[in-house]
Amino acid sequence: MNLPNIDISALPDLNTLTGLFGTVLDTARVGGSDDTIIVIITFLMDSR
Amino acid sequence: MIIHPELRALRGDDSPQRDDQDALVEAVDAWRSRQDVAQIFDELDGFAAGGPIENFPALAALFDGSGHAARFIDEMIALVGAAFAEAMLAHLPFRYYCDDVVSTLQLGRAGRCSLALTVLDGEALAARPAPTTADFSSCEIWESVLAGAGQAQGVTCADLSQESADLAIETIALKPGTVFARQAWREALIVEDVEGRLVSLRLQRRLRETAPTREFRLSDGQFVHQAAGNPTESRTELMMALAGRMKLTESAPVLADIALDGCSAALRWQALRECLALDTQEGFAVLCQIAASPGDDLAHPAGALRSQLIETYPQLGDLPQCRA
Repeated sequence: MNLPNIDISALPDLNTLTGLFGTVLDTARVGGSDDTIIVIITFLMDSR
Repeated sequence: MIIHPELRALRGDDSPQRDDQDALVEAVDAWRSRQDVAQIFDELDGFAAGGPIENFPALAALFDGSGHAARFIDEMIALVGAAFAEAMLAHLPFRYYCDDVVSTLQLGRAGRCSLALTVLDGEALAARPAPTTADFSSCEIWESVLAGAGQAQGVTCADLSQESADLAIETIALKPGTVFARQAWREALIVEDVEGRLVSLRLQRRLRETAPTREFRLSDGQFVHQAAGNPTESRTELMMALAGRMKLTESAPVLADIALDGCSAALRWQALRECLALDTQEGFAVLCQIAASPGDDLAHPAGALRSQLIETYPQLGDLPQCRA
């Protein structure tokens, strides 16, 4: 059977998109919440 | 360019820097090998494996407001700080983050747990715009204020699964001895005002099963953003996108597995999209399988996509998995 090639840009996203880990919009809320930045640093260094 | 003579000398002989670093590492090792400190880090390992903090008395004592946290850090400063003052060319062997507002020193880490010393600079904090949102993430946080004073907003919400949340906001005074224990998936803390510098010890444990971090507007509780709950998931998503742009058709079976068994709906959906684009037959088979699973969170969008694709490409309706 001759199947079509599907363009990924034609495939819908979910209604709610999920950003990458550590992406937050409110940069003013620094230090108040958790240690996300440390998790990112540790993850990047351990991935080398 | 002016180069300090001591630094210039290192170009020919870096042994002073090596000696300084060795001395500082020895000081840190000496601090960590103290019986009371070693017990805390041993318990951090156990705590990462699971169980309530009450099962780890030395760790729990840091966050009971009794002054253990201050003594723990005082001992570190006495030993490590003194060595650091002498070893001007060395780096502290801790991971750290620093900008104009927040400085964080990770004292210990075990699996999904971290123990960190955090300093907030009040003047720099005041220069930033006031926070407009609160975020809720899949972790437990214990915090003990060691020095300084300030004020924070405690933001609580019971149900964050909807597009709008009913946020309860209370003002919390911060002063030495203040301790918090938060379930960060329903309680956020926003420091809004600090006199001088606010120093605190923070223990954090991420949940085994992480949901996306969700961010809500403080003024009206409107949902504004969500992000992956752990970095591994984001790395996988980036790898999938790369495989897709490189047209690595051999990765389709892996993408199919992630679409069926990935840890979050967002990751699974991206895997499904990439799989469909790389290998129509394999991707469509997975799409049909998900659409036919009533208990699957993605069953509804998968069903809608299946219908859309069959309408656009009628030949897909003749595939065996579709007829089944």
